[in-house]
Amino acid sequence: MLQVNNLQAGYGNLQVLWDVSLDVSKGEFVALIGPNGAGKTSTLRTIAGLVRPSNGEVAFLGKPIDGLPAHQISRLGISFVTEELDLFESMSVRENLLLGAYTIHDKSKKQESLDRVLQLFPRLEEREKQLAGTLSGGERKMLAIGRGLMSDPRLLLVDEPSLGLAPKLVLSAYEALLELHRRGVTILLVEQNVNTTLHIVDRGYVMEQGRIVLQGTSEELLANAYLQETYMGTDVSPV
Amino acid sequence: MDLSTIWDLFVTGVLRGGLYALMAGGLALLFGVMNICNFAHGELFIIGSYVAYFAHVTFGLNPLLAILVAAAGSFVAGILIEKTFFSTLRKTSKGEWVMNAFLVTLGVSVVFQNGAQLIWGVKYRGITQYWGGTVQITPRMAIAADRAVAFLISIGAIVLFWLFMRRTQIGRAIRAVSQNERGAMLVGIDLNMIHTLTFALGSMLAGLGGASLLSLVPAYPFAGVKPNIRSWFVVTVVGLGNVGGSIVGGFIVGLLESFAYYFLGQGWQDVASLVMLILLLLFKPSGLFGSEVKGVLER
Repeated sequence: MLQVNNLQAGYGNLQVLWDVSLDVSKGEFVALIGPNGAGKTSTLRTIAGLVRPSNGEVAFLGKPIDGLPAHQISRLGISFVTEELDLFESMSVRENLLLGAYTIHDKSKKQESLDRVLQLFPRLEEREKQLAGTLSGGERKMLAIGRGLMSDPRLLLVDEPSLGLAPKLVLSAYEALLELHRRGVTILLVEQNVNTTLHIVDRGYVMEQGRIVLQGTSEELLANAYLQETYMGTDVSPV
Repeated sequence: MDLSTIWDLFVTGVLRGGLYALMAGGLALLFGVMNICNFAHGELFIIGSYVAYFAHVTFGLNPLLAILVAAAGSFVAGILIEKTFFSTLRKTSKGEWVMNAFLVTLGVSVVFQNGAQLIWGVKYRGITQYWGGTVQITPRMAIAADRAVAFLISIGAIVLFWLFMRRTQIGRAIRAVSQNERGAMLVGIDLNMIHTLTFALGSMLAGLGGASLLSLVPAYPFAGVKPNIRSWFVVTVVGLGNVGGSIVGGFIVGLLESFAYYFLGQGWQDVASLVMLILLLLFKPSGLFGSEVKGVLER
């Protein structure tokens, strides 16, 4: 579904991605993990069209999308839930969600999307009229994910949903993603939290200093000696 | 000084305020969504006057139709200006956008003034009246029908604009862009399209003002200076980039001027409003409605 080949990208003269290649198939739940500053966020930004690649290619559903503006990539069916969430703070929860379905013009389809998202996050229904800027941290994440789902995307890119959340809320954020995965949404997740992440995804890529250094199924990565040593500590038992 | 005098002053102030609200609302929109400090706002007003004049006098359209044509003309002029200047500038100017865009608007204003002088000459193109007749407001006070209709047009345009921004998907998209450009792109909103549309809308509101007041302010190459300063005055008083506040502010300034005119004498109304502006800038530089402007239509 998504293929990234030898991607190079950066900001100004600073190159941050070096030959990044990865792929995600339909229905898969894939994680991109690694330490802070490894280039995970930049990879998502480049896929979503916020950063222009200097070299390499990104293909979605078999067609090249690198170089396209972000709004066009969004219209092709890729939703990007950023780390900063990028909500419309002075608009109500409902308006934020409706804007998520900006590209859907069919009214009944839009309503269907809204019902689906509100059923997934009943909390948002309670807060429908509240301004996005007044929500709690956990609710803001739900709203951002909910808004991303309103367009009924083929692929969901999620950047560090656990960041800044209390441990209990982290679990519920993951549960929401797992539920989406069960419903057939293809997800590419970026996380620093290696251990927990590998327990919920199908496959993972490990990034360090702008390169993919390891890849494999979750089981393979969990059993990998280097990963255990560097990211998990050898004696940590799975959650 | 009796109650009916106050009432008369109130009516005059509100009539004046309607136009200010229309002009300032458009100006605030341009800043709130596009970060453009538009010093060519008076020229957009004058484009409306010229189009209305030619439509009404040269082509003999009826007044209402002429004003509608002028609104459409200003809308198209806004598209052309945005596509020619700002959309080009946006591609090349990233860091210094606010300053560069401001300078471009000054340039547009100078070019327009001199262009208009070259093409149409330094000649007042006005009409004595669209409709003629008067409307009795109070037993003692009657106002020109033109004035009343211009006011109704302003109010109608403001209400329609408000509904458009709040109720339609595209209006919501404009507000989304003003609040978070990246979020807007990520939900599939085409920023270029929204920017062009926003400029065209701001231009249309200003042009509508110029067209409906043609009998008071004739079309003239330099007639935009005053409306421009006035709109800027309102926008500065309420705080930059706040459309709702600017509409309210338009009425506040209109009332202030009308009362100052009566109590201080002719010519002093500007002094009163400028004193207010200076005091505000000294003691509450963020404007009457505060600094926490988070979007173009919300505070």
